[in-house]
Amino acid sequence: MTEVRCDIAFTLNGAPVALNIGGHENIVDVLKRLGLSGARESCGQGLCGCCTVIIDGVAESGCLTLAQLVDGRSVQTIEGLDADGALSPVQQAFIDAGALQCGFCAPGFVLMSHQLLAANPDPSEAEIRDYLSGNLCRCATYPEIIKAVRLAASRMRAAQAA
Amino acid sequence: MNEIRSISAKQVGRDVPRLESRQKVTGRAEYTHNITLPGMLYAKLCRSTVAHGRILSIDVSAARDLPGVHAVYTGETIRTLIAEPYFGPAFHDQPILAIGKVHFVGEPIAVVLAADPYVAAEAAQMIVAEYEELPAVFDEVEAMTSAAIVHETLKPAGTFADLKHLSGKSNTNVALDYQLRRGDTDAAFAAAEHVFEHEFHTQQVMHTPLEPMVSIAEPGDNCLTIYTASQSPSFVCTEIARLFGWRENQVRVKVPYLGGGFGAKLYIKLEALVAAAAMLARRPVKLSLTMEEQFYTITKHASTFRIKSAVNKDGRITARRCEIFWNGGAFADIGPRVTQKSGFTSPGPYDIDNVSVDSYALYTNRPPAGALRGFGIPQLVWAYESHTDLLARGIGMDAVEFRRRNLLREGRPQATGTLMHDAAIIEVLDKTAELMNWTAPFERGEGVIRRGRAIAIGFKAVVAPTTSGAIVNLSADGSAALYMSTVDMGQGSDTAMAQIVAETLGLVAERVKVVHPDTDVTPYDMATLGSRSTFHMGNAVKLASLHALEQLGAMAREVGLPEGTNYEIRDIFLKKYGMQAGNIIGVGSYVPPYTSPQKGTGLSDNVTPFWMVGAAGVELSVDTETGHVTIDRLINVADVGRPLNPAIVATQLSGAAMMQLGFTLFENMDLDHGQVTNASLADYKIPGMHDLPTVMDNVIVDNNQQNGPYGAKGVGETATFGVSPAIANAIEDAVGVRLTSLPLTPESVLRGIRALRGEKLEG
Amino acid sequence: MRGFEFLRPGTLNEASALLATGDAAARPFAGGTGLMLMMKTGVFSPSRLVCLRQTEAEHRAITPTGDGGARIGALASLSQIEHDPLLCRLAPVIARTMTTLANVRVRNVARIGGTLAHGDPHMDMPPTLAALRASVVTSGTASRTVPVEALYAGYYETILQPGELISAVLLPDQTGWHSVYLKCTTRSADDWPALGVAVSVRMDGTTITDSRVIISAATEKLTRVAAAEAVLNGATAGLAAFTAAGEAARAVETIEDARGSAAYKTELVGVYVRRALQQATGAGGN
Ligand SMILES: Cc1cc2nc3c(=O)[nH]c(=O)nc-3n(C[C@H](O)[C@H](O)[C@H](O)COP(=O)(O)OP(=O)(O)OC[C@H]3O[C@@H](n4cnc5c(N)ncnc54)[C@H](O)[C@@H]3O)c2cc1C
Ligand code: FES
Ligand code: FES
Repeated sequence: MTEVRCDIAFTLNGAPVALNIGGHENIVDVLKRLGLSGARESCGQGLCGCCTVIIDGVAESGCLTLAQLVDGRSVQTIEGLDADGALSPVQQAFIDAGALQCGFCAPGFVLMSHQLLAANPDPSEAEIRDYLSGNLCRCATYPEIIKAVRLAASRMRAAQAA
Repeated sequence: MNEIRSISAKQVGRDVPRLESRQKVTGRAEYTHNITLPGMLYAKLCRSTVAHGRILSIDVSAARDLPGVHAVYTGETIRTLIAEPYFGPAFHDQPILAIGKVHFVGEPIAVVLAADPYVAAEAAQMIVAEYEELPAVFDEVEAMTSAAIVHETLKPAGTFADLKHLSGKSNTNVALDYQLRRGDTDAAFAAAEHVFEHEFHTQQVMHTPLEPMVSIAEPGDNCLTIYTASQSPSFVCTEIARLFGWRENQVRVKVPYLGGGFGAKLYIKLEALVAAAAMLARRPVKLSLTMEEQFYTITKHASTFRIKSAVNKDGRITARRCEIFWNGGAFADIGPRVTQKSGFTSPGPYDIDNVSVDSYALYTNRPPAGALRGFGIPQLVWAYESHTDLLARGIGMDAVEFRRRNLLREGRPQATGTLMHDAAIIEVLDKTAELMNWTAPFERGEGVIRRGRAIAIGFKAVVAPTTSGAIVNLSADGSAALYMSTVDMGQGSDTAMAQIVAETLGLVAERVKVVHPDTDVTPYDMATLGSRSTFHMGNAVKLASLHALEQLGAMAREVGLPEGTNYEIRDIFLKKYGMQAGNIIGVGSYVPPYTSPQKGTGLSDNVTPFWMVGAAGVELSVDTETGHVTIDRLINVADVGRPLNPAIVATQLSGAAMMQLGFTLFENMDLDHGQVTNASLADYKIPGMHDLPTVMDNVIVDNNQQNGPYGAKGVGETATFGVSPAIANAIEDAVGVRLTSLPLTPESVLRGIRALRGEKLEG
Repeated sequence: MRGFEFLRPGTLNEASALLATGDAAARPFAGGTGLMLMMKTGVFSPSRLVCLRQTEAEHRAITPTGDGGARIGALASLSQIEHDPLLCRLAPVIARTMTTLANVRVRNVARIGGTLAHGDPHMDMPPTLAALRASVVTSGTASRTVPVEALYAGYYETILQPGELISAVLLPDQTGWHSVYLKCTTRSADDWPALGVAVSVRMDGTTITDSRVIISAATEKLTRVAAAEAVLNGATAGLAAFTAAGEAARAVETIEDARGSAAYKTELVGVYVRRALQQATGAGGN
């Protein structure tokens, strides 16, 4: 097959990038080329969330997102969360709750937890399970992840109130 | 805070967060998955489409002609580099690429290299192979007598004494026939009050680490550097050197964090292929498997276990006969060790005078099987603990009481004759019963929903004898770095080992640096497997730390500081060198004592340096109209010795139990004539958030492993032991249905319920 | 995966024209989640993908229709539908169905048009929408309105012609109707269903005046079970009628797969149809 190539330009964690890509490449391929490996392909089928990226504020599975579709849009990855050197409250809560083992799934869970808490600052345990059920952790750190999300939620609400 | 000296806080037994936590939550932790080297080529495999066949031809011309393809290699090309390109830890049975014949659907037959992985993948699709199909065998029991023979002759690697007698054997699929004989089972059965006999089955499942298997080889001048997601860097180094006929120091193996292992990344997997391809291409080569391809690479043994017990009128088990058939698939991998090392525990943690065990490693034309979180133990406990409940039921005795009467006590001989020490078997049973409120009445449900509960307990001996080495470098400022080849794949070994260093040297664990496996730098370690690291490496690390401490003491004496000084480490160095200079290297290496089992009887007075004990308690609900099972409560109780890091231990317990829950209730590789038909996470389901039991408790019983580092021992597998049989036992308790094959699907439950009523589901 | 054209027309009509080439490997691309899965597993190698997302401004709105129903543009995402106040009021069963459909990321991207056109019999929205008596409106040369239950011709097959695109979904007024969708998984909790059952009943007092019983996943294609509806219509709501409807539904032809044998799925059909009806007419329905 002859490859169809195209030029794309988008905002990556706040900074503009432009590059030439294969029309078939997904956004994880492109991020990897740009030196970012926090979004990583695992199941390759939208099921595990290891490849989670936030596009125009909305979470997507990078493994199912053709890179050319982010042309002109804004892409946020896990690497953008602590751009100022400080961990986000969700990241800190994951550490404090011990919500990671091998850590391969952690960036996806952290990003999805951010999305959840942005939409619902005080989720119930059932809501946390529903929202995060599209992320898989083979180390099965699920109880600790639920704990981490609740911890982050309470700290964020406390910070809001203060 | 940058304090490295620990004044008073205990370092061992403290919930130190994983040292690499920050890197992991920011997406910056290093995995082999992330590594790209300049000039690197991507490898993609073409795989066999038949389960057993002679290769007539492999046409790679179209693939080779595809623009962007750098090279295409087959088994014959590999042979130009390595005359005998077969590898494996127990048998040299696995060709780097198929030669002459293929042994299972999915066996690699050719590799394409290209700078663009999409080009390589497309080219791999263009390779056309022709086969003459041969009769195939897929079932482990049939493989015992089948006319289909997977390997013409057996080629044991020579490392294991008990495999030597198989060398050159032909016309057999048996890759090990392990035997244990103690007492007189025939007489005991003849004299028995009750005799019970059952057969249990487990299915083939896969580890599915979320970082799929990946290896990179970078060629140098008569040397190679291999970056690999491996649990056994030292073995990779040895085996690659053997294949190339090199010295070990020509091969450098580096391993960063692993995105999960569970046994999938043990011994040697993709490393030989990338090494050979890189040497042929003179370029770095990376092979990243897809999730699908992992299913063709390594799996967990399917098994058949026939178990027979004699029980006397007091409810004592007087004899047990175990016959186990392990479906090893096309290559032995570590299957023969599973067959033996787990085989000798197959009578269970029970005090039985007369035992006989026959455990067979079998080749079949399925994807290969190896170790998976338990090294065979979960398959065994599944059978013997289901059986144990049936015995108790059969003689009308309470299931906990029956176990308590028969469990091994301190100082009593296990099946091999080895006396039990520091195994808190009774304590684990009692704790489980207590947490289950066993003697209190139980709410059994009504109407459509019926409830049941049960327990199960298992044990494991650690693989022996094995070696670990460690180096501690104490710098002049008092900070320490630990050099070891234990691989942190999520179990938290970096953190636990840093705690041992810190405890021994009086430092803060968080400030200890752990240098990751690099065979040019870190000392030999047998492998990160079978829950051996905490104990073996832990002891080596402690010895290395003590060695450093000893030298520090000598240095203090040398500079005239009094014994028992509370001088800071840096002040001692300062006094000696007059400036911040110098360092101390502590080395430690540990091999526990061991007695090889006698040939034929399998008896040994020291078969393992320690025992792991785990039990599960389950309460569940069954929907009697659909067969759906809901786990209301899962209790995991373990003897882990003294936990070095209780929080990490608890997470290991719940993670292991959840993994086993998946293997119990739904995980299953569907095979159609040897073809895996559900090789993706869309169709091979693993547990997610919604599969968590409603309540899960993880409890550690008080124990001290006297020969362990600070009383600790292994933990990574312990909570897998009891889960499957406890669930099956609880299903029987709820609805009277006894299931003997995993997974315990709702359909099998419903069929059982209907069968009890004398009805059948049509079809 | 390589070597396909990716075109971005500004209107559905232009898209139709780009697709009406007779090339079976040319396909419309909406959310792309279904297509990417097929492309990555090598089931489908496109020659041309015609992206519909530039038509969003025109085709993603969810608006009330004059007769108490709603019109959902084909490019509306599943997340948008899940949280749309109008739909949540009109048919809360839609949002409830969404919570077990794939995951947040897929729902953020997948569009209702692609979801209905995909033709996989295991999907959750088609039975729910069929039970709600929804229909799809197509664009192209011969625009037509087709009830959702009539959209499917077989396994992964729809009656859509090459170049014929779904432009909207029409949802009728739901006043007096009570609907439930039950997804039955038999392996992990989050899985493709072994069986999907969607029911809608209209009640007059305790009498059922009209009903829809839809079966999916266990059958080769989405199936409306007229025999079960016949049992229900005119009957008094209650266990007897629901059990009888479940019995009648067992006549559908189920197919075996890794999630269960045909016989087991037939058992599930009987139980789940009854339970869905109980929920629809009890506290859980609407
Ligand atoms: C991880 C994962 C889990 C999933 N789990 C579930 C689940 O639990 N339940 C469930 O129901 N579904 C599930 N799905 C399927 C998912 O719902 C579909 O992939 C999705 O709805 C398809 O919508 P799309 O817009 O992405 O379609 P696309 O992929 O863009 O298109 C799908 C098909 O429809 C055609 N098409 C697209 N738009 C139109 C149009 N307007 N007119 C005509 N034809 C069109 C395309 O050519 C293609 O053939 C899952 C998918 C993934 C990736
Ligand atoms: S890799 Fe994209 S969701 Fe799993
Ligand atoms: S921590 Fe290993 S996969 Fe989640």
